[in-house]
Amino acid sequence: MLENTLPVLLARLDFAWITTFHILYPPLTIGLAGMLFVGEALWLRTDDEYWYRLTRFFERLLIVNFAAGVATGVTMEMAFGILYGPFSQAAGPFFGQVLGYETITAFMYEAGFIGLMIFGWGKIGRKMHLFATFNVALSSALSAMWILDANSWMQTPTGVELRNGVFHVTSMAKALLNPDVLYAFPHMLVASYELALALVGAIAAWYILKGRHVAMFRRALRLVILALVVVAPLQVWLGDALGLTVARHQPTVLAAMEGHYDTYNPDGSVNTSWKLLAWPNAQNDGTVWSIEIPHVLSLLETHTWSGKVTGLNAFPADERPPMLIPFYGFRVMVACGLGMVLVAFWGAWLVYRRRLDARGAGTVWFLRAAVAAAALPYLGIWVGWWTREVGRQPWVVFKIMRTAEGVSRMSVTEEILWLGGYMAFELTVWGAVWWYLAKLVRQGPDLDAPIPVFGGADPEPGRAGGAPVRETPKAEWPAAPGGIPASGAR
Amino acid sequence: MGPLTHIQHVLATGWWVAAAFCLVLYVVLDGADLGAGIFSLFVPDADERGAIMQAMAGTWDANETWLVVAGGVLFGSFPFVYGSVLSYLLVPFVFILWGILTRAVALEFRHLAEPRWKPLTDRAFGLSSLVVTFFGGMAVGAVLHGFPLTDTPDTVPTYVGGAFRFISLFSVWTGIAAVVVVSLAGGLFVRARFEPQERVRQRAAAWTEIVFYLALGAVPISVVLMMVTFPWARQTWFGPDVWLWALIPLAAIGTTFLMRRANRRDRNLAALLWLDATIVIMAAGLIATLWPAIVPGTWTIDSGASREITLLRFYLTLAFLFPVTLMYNWYQIWVFRARVAKLASYHG
Repeated sequence: MLENTLPVLLARLDFAWITTFHILYPPLTIGLAGMLFVGEALWLRTDDEYWYRLTRFFERLLIVNFAAGVATGVTMEMAFGILYGPFSQAAGPFFGQVLGYETITAFMYEAGFIGLMIFGWGKIGRKMHLFATFNVALSSALSAMWILDANSWMQTPTGVELRNGVFHVTSMAKALLNPDVLYAFPHMLVASYELALALVGAIAAWYILKGRHVAMFRRALRLVILALVVVAPLQVWLGDALGLTVARHQPTVLAAMEGHYDTYNPDGSVNTSWKLLAWPNAQNDGTVWSIEIPHVLSLLETHTWSGKVTGLNAFPADERPPMLIPFYGFRVMVACGLGMVLVAFWGAWLVYRRRLDARGAGTVWFLRAAVAAAALPYLGIWVGWWTREVGRQPWVVFKIMRTAEGVSRMSVTEEILWLGGYMAFELTVWGAVWWYLAKLVRQGPDLDAPIPVFGGADPEPGRAGGAPVRETPKAEWPAAPGGIPASGAR
Repeated sequence: MGPLTHIQHVLATGWWVAAAFCLVLYVVLDGADLGAGIFSLFVPDADERGAIMQAMAGTWDANETWLVVAGGVLFGSFPFVYGSVLSYLLVPFVFILWGILTRAVALEFRHLAEPRWKPLTDRAFGLSSLVVTFFGGMAVGAVLHGFPLTDTPDTVPTYVGGAFRFISLFSVWTGIAAVVVVSLAGGLFVRARFEPQERVRQRAAAWTEIVFYLALGAVPISVVLMMVTFPWARQTWFGPDVWLWALIPLAAIGTTFLMRRANRRDRNLAALLWLDATIVIMAAGLIATLWPAIVPGTWTIDSGASREITLLRFYLTLAFLFPVTLMYNWYQIWVFRARVAKLASYHG
């Protein structure tokens, strides 16, 4: 079968494009929603206005990001049927069911509570509002779980058998708990939290550099650093564990990620060399050039000095994935992950030496690095996902269904129009999102708007966690404690 | 594929009712939002357009989600239908999705936009509402035509027939009819959502009056066209149960009359709900006419259903998840029930 005919390549590109421009948003929604829940819970517990201001500020960023996530996400679900009709039909009995659960238990659930979270301030009780925020955090994480479960099943399709062109579920439990998802979902979830932490940290660092709201954001940055010290290494460990799963279940993917073609050297000895950099040849059966370090590959993959790692050439030519994107995607992803660890520990060291508050050159350079580090998780998620998807080729369901068998019968013109249209729409959305996020950050947190009184829906109005609460007048928008009029309210 | 067992047949029927329920609920809930968007194209005052968007700010995405849920139910329980119908409807769905994308962005970003960009976001909002409605209506019309499938042994029958097969006189007409009906819902929605003294309500009243008569023409024409175009519709309606089928238009005329009365008495919410009742009755009539087909001549409930549907999952979804979803959907609408004023800020 001709694999990379133009229609198949374009169908892959079409889906790759909409995925790439969707995956920009949900991780931030998931991670930030979790952070907002923590912030709001702390506000209820301590009744410290600080947490309220911080939560409301970052909530405004979440709103912009969430809208883009929904806008680009509706397309994703429909695109399975539009671009990959035969795949949707064949895999539907399992895959469609999982996506169906995603829409019901996560998408719908999230859409319901996010409206309450955004517009419910002052309309519903304080605890009810915290409950809404909690549900946004939970439902968005659930959404990631279902999506990763469906995608992981395409990587390691257990619990099914293909009969008469349809995937029949032989064991729902095995299909749901397929080997890949056990680490892929935590890896994605932690990536989401890491991304949100990195972005919040970058914004905080930017304010400190600019000398605006310094006290407020120094406190936030310290907490972000402490969280990242745990999260960033955890993510590296999860990535490594997922790598072992790939090595065990998808040797072609591993070989492509490492650019490992020949299992044995010409002299018959085991090829143990790990490639730092390489370029594949046109036949995809070797490299044009490469920088190699002996024994490292065996050490990494088998934890022995010269253990055997199966190379790409051990597999039929029409079952080898292209090497370039998995190889470099994987390397860039690892670099992003390690970069985050570096920034986290650099920050932790400054916090430990109490130098985060100083204006020394070292601190300034750290703050600049923290601003730049926001790009790392975004880039890491992109290249990681590309590695995952391209590495699985030429299969849409690994070793069972080929991508070429799964694509809808579209003409090249239709596919190009789809791509062109989505390039225009989604680049506009992306531009608008960054424009507005930047605008909100430039505006800064609203420190003057009065804290809304929470209405009668709260069972115990004015009481939270047993802490005494400031008495607030019953007007809908009372003056701020400092007597500043409510003109700051939008 | 083997035949369904008896229990699976019952479950498949249940899933189809659930999917149809989601679709109709989407039309009813988002129809009002889309109609208000179309109406906003004829509103010259920028603040009033902004207020129309604000009137749906807290609920539009939950409303829209019913479309995604309908897609999810269809994908999960009728994957053979899902995979082929969306390939068939490639072009209308591309426009629907681009419309949804544009509308979401316009809705959410308007309050952040600089004043000079606001006319652009307003136009984008109005036009995208129009595009989603027209192509949505066209998609429904196109589905009634059915579509050809491959016939290769040992594979699932999949769509063949090109990207433009969906275009027909009938499907173009259903697109237009959808715009008319949804515009009526939009007018009633604006009447119901704004505070009584708002000027935009007067404009909406005039709009509702015109669109009502358009709808009064468009809907019967659609029914007649359907009768002329599709033999299966004729046969079903004028078969032995003709008196039973006659009850559907009678009920629709009754609810239409009640809608007019409520509208005259300025009971705006009641008017909107009576219109919704009319839409539900007509949609139920359409689905009953198709029964047991999902896509006439192409897929039936039995041939399109996944062989993996089981009682437990059906029970879990419909007895637990659906009611919970409906409950918080309702709670959300309840929280945001207050009428809005023109100068209300978006994120009050």
